[in-house]
Amino acid sequence: MDLSDSVLDHLRQVAALPDLSGTRYELEGEIGRGGLGVVYRARDRQLGRHVALKVLDAALAGEAPLIARLEHPAIVPIYEAGTLPDGRAFYAMKLVAGARLDQYVGRQTTRGDGPPHLVERLRVVRRVAEALAFAHSRGAIHRDLKPQNVMVGEFGEVYVMDWGVEGVAGTPAFRAPEPGLDARSDIYALGALLEFVLPALPPPALGAVARKAMSADRAARYADVAGLLADLERFQEGLAVEAWREPLLHKVRRFWSRNALLLWLLTAYAVVKFVLFFWGRR
Amino acid sequence: MDPDTAIGGPHDHFPSTQRWLLDAVAAGLPDEALERVAALYWKPVYRFIRLKFRKDNEDAKDLTQGFFASALEREFFARFDPAKASFRTYLRMAVERFAANAHAAGNRRKRGGDVEFEPICEEAAATESPEAAFDREWQRQLFALALDDLRAFCDSAGKRLQWLVFEAYDLEAGERASYAALAERYGIPETSVTNYLAWARRTLRGFVMERMRGVTSGEREWREEMSRLWI
Repeated sequence: MDLSDSVLDHLRQVAALPDLSGTRYELEGEIGRGGLGVVYRARDRQLGRHVALKVLDAALAGEAPLIARLEHPAIVPIYEAGTLPDGRAFYAMKLVAGARLDQYVGRQTTRGDGPPHLVERLRVVRRVAEALAFAHSRGAIHRDLKPQNVMVGEFGEVYVMDWGVEGVAGTPAFRAPEPGLDARSDIYALGALLEFVLPALPPPALGAVARKAMSADRAARYADVAGLLADLERFQEGLAVEAWREPLLHKVRRFWSRNALLLWLLTAYAVVKFVLFFWGRR
Repeated sequence: MDPDTAIGGPHDHFPSTQRWLLDAVAAGLPDEALERVAALYWKPVYRFIRLKFRKDNEDAKDLTQGFFASALEREFFARFDPAKASFRTYLRMAVERFAANAHAAGNRRKRGGDVEFEPICEEAAATESPEAAFDREWQRQLFALALDDLRAFCDSAGKRLQWLVFEAYDLEAGERASYAALAERYGIPETSVTNYLAWARRTLRGFVMERMRGVTSGEREWREEMSRLWI
């Protein structure tokens, strides 16, 4: 059978579309493509709302049903999971309006206030870390954490999406070097995510946190996500992080900046006392 | 609800009958494996040789034939390492080496190699690289084989009308008729037109995946190749 280019392209397109007949969903368009499948925008006819429909190339496998049961404010809620008539698995998820983390970090707003400040970036990473910690406590891992799988919503809400199923290859820049993926591989990806949101010349302590999480040696990484989160909190509170043995000068500077007000007051008190002492002797 | 389209209902894709490529070779069926490969790759290889080495029709045919004829002798399958490349890429590179050697030998025979080749008067030669043409022909042939499977299945399963509707709509190279016009042409409700199309596309997809399974080394390569195929 001879197929013209236009017929071939048409077939490539229509054979790829998920067959939603017999479901409550109506296809509206494609949102994006990942390693395991395609995400579509669809309309739930029964509830009259829009959803994100992820159609997987593979059958629903491994821990996918477990992930569907994860309920956390930073994990995109899955409304329904099932199998299409063509054998492909699908999830219907909350459709999140917002920007992917890679877009969010590089955005220029219309008000011209530029990309988000470091404090805001760290807030997003901490939110992602909390979601990961929760998933790990339930025995699930992400497998493919990267900026493209994190959404920042219109109201600042953070969602981790695209929880991986067995067999996902991961994305090279965020994938741990070991062949078998586990919770520490997610920690590696979280470190890579942290590094991604940091400025070109990051505070040394934060750079050290990212490097520790991304150690090639799994045993040298944080034992769990809570360890990384604790280091981020320490940094934000002006304390020393575990990931970095800071030089004395840096310690003094950190001590000064953490106790600046008190030190200025003490200095002022000492200066006043000093002046009064000499004034009294005149 | 149409039983063909019910979620979790009867599926019109079949349990796989194709072994992975290397499994078939390991099971002592290299001829069967080669047959599958040749069915899918003959045309892409032919086209690649024509464009890459600027061979005329007959020479390209001979080289293509020669490549497949000697594949088993050269332990073609044994040398394939799925960790290094997809089978498609491996085969294209093997063809390139084979044809380059034959090309060089031909030049030597003609003393000096100042041979003029027949120009390829095809638009594709100017706009498409031989590698892109190879991939395009691969897609085309994969769908052509799957369409043969679909038509045969429709004939044997009493779904001739489904095929006719699908053929009239999805295989139409010109302007497509509306669903209403097709419904009138075949004396069926418009909803049946959309259901038949959905069924045929779904079943075609199954056949495409099945054909692909027979020429890939395993789940991962299969999935990667499938994701390159869909638009």
